[in-house]
Order: sequence, then C-alpha cells, then structure tokens
Amino acid sequence: MSILLNRDTKVLVQGITGRIGRVQTKWMLDYGTNIVAGVTPGKGGEEVEGIPVYNTVAEAVAEQGAEASVFFIPAKAFKEAARQSIDAGIHLIVVITEHIPVHDVMEIREYASEREVRLIGPTTPGIITVGEAKMGIMPANMFAPGRIGLISRSGTLSYEISINLVTAGFGQSTVVGMGADSVVFTSIPELLRLFEKDPNTDLVVIIGEVGGVQEENAAQFIDRWMTKPVVTYIAGHNAPEGKRMGHAGAIIQGEHGGMGTPQSKMAALREVGVDVAMYPSEVVELVKQHLTSS
Amino acid sequence: MGLLSLACSRAGCKIWGGQGGQIDLCPSNCVIFQLPLMKLYEFEGNDLLRRDGIPVPDYALAATPQEAREKAEELGLPVVVKAQVLTGGRWLAGGVQTVYSPEEVEEASQRILGLSIRGWPVRQVMVTPRVESVREFYLAVTVDEYHGTPVAILSAAGGVLVNRLALERPEAVASRYVSIIKGLLPSEARRMCRGAGLRGADVSRVANMLSALYQVFHKYDALITEVNPLVRTTKGDYLALDAKVEIDDDSLYRHPELKLDLDSRIPNPLERKGREIGVSYVELDGDIAIVASGAGLGMASMDIISRRMRPANFLETGGAITAELLYNVMDLVLQKKGVRAVFINVYGGINPIHEGAKGVVKYLKEHQVNIPVVAKALGNHQEETWEIFRNNGVHVVDDVSTEKGVEQLARLLRGRP
Repeated sequence: MSILLNRDTKVLVQGITGRIGRVQTKWMLDYGTNIVAGVTPGKGGEEVEGIPVYNTVAEAVAEQGAEASVFFIPAKAFKEAARQSIDAGIHLIVVITEHIPVHDVMEIREYASEREVRLIGPTTPGIITVGEAKMGIMPANMFAPGRIGLISRSGTLSYEISINLVTAGFGQSTVVGMGADSVVFTSIPELLRLFEKDPNTDLVVIIGEVGGVQEENAAQFIDRWMTKPVVTYIAGHNAPEGKRMGHAGAIIQGEHGGMGTPQSKMAALREVGVDVAMYPSEVVELVKQHLTSS
Repeated sequence: MGLLSLACSRAGCKIWGGQGGQIDLCPSNCVIFQLPLMKLYEFEGNDLLRRDGIPVPDYALAATPQEAREKAEELGLPVVVKAQVLTGGRWLAGGVQTVYSPEEVEEASQRILGLSIRGWPVRQVMVTPRVESVREFYLAVTVDEYHGTPVAILSAAGGVLVNRLALERPEAVASRYVSIIKGLLPSEARRMCRGAGLRGADVSRVANMLSALYQVFHKYDALITEVNPLVRTTKGDYLALDAKVEIDDDSLYRHPELKLDLDSRIPNPLERKGREIGVSYVELDGDIAIVASGAGLGMASMDIISRRMRPANFLETGGAITAELLYNVMDLVLQKKGVRAVFINVYGGINPIHEGAKGVVKYLKEHQVNIPVVAKALGNHQEETWEIFRNNGVHVVDDVSTEKGVEQLARLLRGRP
C-alpha cells in the first residue's frame, strides 16, 4: 500500500465548497481517491461532485466513516478545524493551506502529539500514492507507479524530479510534500522511517532546500536506521543570506554559524553515504546506479 | 547586540534526548540561529515590553543631531545614543555610543545618522539615559523550528554572545522547551533561574521577567522576544536595556494594534513592489530574469542558470496565478536594468498557468519586448499554455527538464550582446 494513503483510505475534504476545494475534489476523484465526505460549516446537506457535505467533522466520521482529511480551508480557520478533526478521530490530516501563523502550527502540533494523529504540511501540495489515490493538488500526469519514495519540501520541484524520473523509466510509490513552512508537522526522518518499512519502496529521494535543519537531521537518521539507498538534491546553492526564498522556511540564517546553507546540508548527507545531486536531472543518473528502469 | 542561539536539535546530540523537556545549549557546532523578517525597531520592542510589565528605561527618538541634543537635555545626561535599524550588529558598526555632554550628543548623533548598517541607512536614533548596572542577564523566548515548539533561554551573563557563553560556561545558561498549550509555568521559570546560577532576590524577579517575556512572545505571535541585557541597577531595579522582537508575518492580520508599516521595512524597491503585487522577489546581481511558480523550482532554476550565466532575480508567483499577476510579474522583472532574457518555469497544479500565459504575452506585445523569453510549462492545461506562448513569440521548452530549458536559453543568447 506504500505509505500513509491507499485506494481504500476514506478521505474527507474540508473546505470542499470553496473554489479550490471543488476543483481539487473533482481531480482527486478522477485519480481514484476514495472521497467519502466533505465538510463546510453551514453548507451541510449540499453535494459536491456527488459527495455529501456535512457541517461538522464528527458527522462526516459518524455517517461516512471518514478517516483521513485534506484541508482546503483559510489559514484563519485552521486551528479550529484541526482541533475538530483530531477530536472526531481523524488520524491523518493533510494541510494544503498556506500562511498559517507559526503559533497555531505549534499549538496543533502539540495537541496532535498527545493523540496519535499525523499531520502533513502546512503549505504542502499533499500526498500521492501513485496509481491509487491523492490527497492534494499535484498534477497527476507528473507521476507513474513505481518503487521510489519521494519526500520534498517543495511542491513544484517534486513535480520536476518526478516527471524526469518517469521519463527515464522510474516510477514512484508514494510522493509526500512535507510542507514549506519553517515549522512543519512531520519531519523528514519520520517520513524516512515509514519508507524504510514500506515493502513497495526500494529507494528514497529527498528534495531539500536552504533553511532549517531538516536535512541535517535526516542525515543522522539515515546513518543510524536506513538500509535503503537515498538520493538527494538540495535547491538554492546560490541563495543569498538572510533572504526568504519564497517559502517561509527557506532562509539561510546569515550572520551566524552557517546552518541552513545548502553546503552544510549536502556535506552532512554525503558524510553518511547519501548520493547528492548537484542539479535536478542528476537525480535520475544517481537513481540509475541503484535501480534498473522498467 | 542580541546574538541568539537556540538549542541543538540534531539526532544523536544529547540535547535531542533531553530529560523532561530540559535542554541545554549544544556544546558542539550544531547550534541553530534564527533571522526572521518582521523585525521591530528597538523602540517598538521596548513599548511592547513595557505594556506587558517589563520595565524599560525612558527614551526619546530623534532624526537630527539638534533634536537628539534637546531630547538628551530633557532626559538628563549622560545618555546612550543608539541607531534604530532593523538588523543586528549595531555595536560592531559603531551604531551605539555613550555620551556625557550636549556637544557630544550632537557629534555622536551626526555620525550615527550618517551610518549604513548592513545595508540599512540610519534614519533615527534613540536617546536613553545611561543606566548604572551591577548585574546583567540574558533572556529570550524563541521558536525551535525543528521540534516545532517555543523554547525559553536564560543566562546569568548578559550583553555577551550567548552561544559563546554556552561553549565556555555552559553552567551559566539554562534553556527549556515550553508547552504552547500550558505556557511557561512560574515554577519552571524559577527552576531555570536557579539552573543558571541565580540566587536570592534575582531568582523571583528574573523569573517574573521571563514569564512576562513569554507572555509577550505568545500574545503577539512573536518568533523571537529577546532582552539582552536585562540589568539590575545600583538602585535594585530591574530594567530591560535592549529589546529584540520579531513578529510572524502570517499573524499580522490579528495584530492591528501593532500598526506595523510593512513597506518601510523592505529597503529594496523591487522587493517592495514584489510584495505589493503578491509575489516573492529577491534581487540578485545577474542579468537572466527568473519567473517560477514555486519556490523550489525557482531555486533550482537559479542553481542551473548559475552554472554558465547569472540570475537577475529569484521570483516565485505562489499559487494564485492570474493573467493580471503574470502581467505585473513581467513588468517587475523587466524593471531591473540590463536583463538579457526571461526564463519562465511553471507547473500547473493549483495554478491556472494558461491564464498566466495570457498575461505574459499581453505584456510582451504592449511593451514590444525584444529580448528572448523562454518558457517551460507543464501540468494541467499545458497544451493550451504552449499554444498561447508559441503564437506570441515565446520559446517553449520541449522537454521535462529545467536543464534542457536553460540550454535552449543559452543557445538563444549566443551571439547576442
């Protein structure tokens, strides 16, 4: 089943009646996602693409057995919606929403950690288990079924590298956008642990970028726990210090210490035997050293 | 000067496996630093602290040496004259000076108002009475990004580089993860004070300040609140002499009370314009403009272009592409002088990229742009997008890799000036 999501997962769409929620619901259904319900407070009783809409998550869980939820809601509504979903027993929440205040993310992170709920994001394109289901906004024609697990801090770059892999004959098991904010719910090491255990994944590609210490921590995890090969590309070799490169989390903390630089990340990963690509298309060449294309 | 270090979070580091939420500053080089964007001026930070019960010295602002002199005479000499800029490193740049006479106030202010500190021209100075201190402390609350939790840091020595102190005298630094749901409990704050070696009246007074500082951090959605130093004066008062506060941009909608004028905080005019039209723009020193629909793709485009050419900018459109947005984006990237070509790299996911293409070609036509424009566009609506571009003289990249697109661009530029 690859990781986190499969064709049987009963998916709820929160914010289903919004402009983006509607379009994306159609595209997720087209892909085969088992969407069972939508929620928009005040819009209970409506339907979107034949999917029943409820006022609350609790109703969607009780009536349709929803177990995972994807958020297309405004940033201001995030905290309340997340608490409601967690309390209703949803165990996987994918937060597409951008620009959520960091304090709200920290609060929900702490709330969820006490309750065995996994959140992905925020500011993520979502998750796709290729050929089965997707919770998110990624264009389906960038992926093909295969045995590479992919973790990316960037949405667009996950598409770029996936389509390059597909063109070379390598497909993906699950692709996870982990989110581009400075604080995210699920770290690269946590996702590596899932891919390491997944019988449908033979190799993991990590697409990192400047800022934070996710990649440095991933290197430590890989050194200790990973048996599967890992290939990586870190974007932003020439990013200037102290400038936020589009993503809230993509900033080299200039002045002090040199953490968050692509050079520190690449060095940490190389040191533990990870193959580091200098450019996106080089990922394909490095993958070829470990896998044979189909 | 407020150089703030954060606890280490590398797996395998002893801090990562810390006991009961107690953490230390990392003794090795794996120390994390923060430098978020929405900084407050020192005087704005002072006002916030004062409002929430942390005493700060009186101050006045001045934009001219004469004004500084008048304010200093009202406050009473000696005073400290401090540059008000949105960056650290004021001490090293000579932006802070203690002065003893009205003439000296004018001289110092004249000099400081002529400084540019890390690219920020000094437009205002703060004049504040010199405080005689007998003891200094360092207090901060910030975000441990990797663990996604607030962390409180306290040191028994202020006015120094805390990360250096952590290496040389680790016993003088205490830090602790804080539950954002429960807040910093008074007992935890007192334990931190004792842990950092404070004794006597310092324990309860500094603990109260630390609790108040956490309140400010939480109430205003701060990424950092830092006091360096907090001093105990000869009279036994406790005063925060330098406040550093940085607010999360994404929370500003719920803080109208801060009345932050965002635009004046972005010194680069093109970066300011980017913010106005709703994109991320970072000016670079080359001549190939980049327009990308995602940050990662934009950075990868920079990496590839930098092999043989030089990017003029980084630009990310974000998800809400419209014809109007891309029209404005073209206008923005072409405002930079000497741009030789534009490289557009977009994916249609949530983005209606065919709409964006209409905006690009409208701009090119109206302004008769005759430098090469190369576009790589994939995903939803790709065929429609290619057609719009091709019919209007944009070179469409016929491959899935950005490298191939950049090669195409390089070929087009060959032989051009």
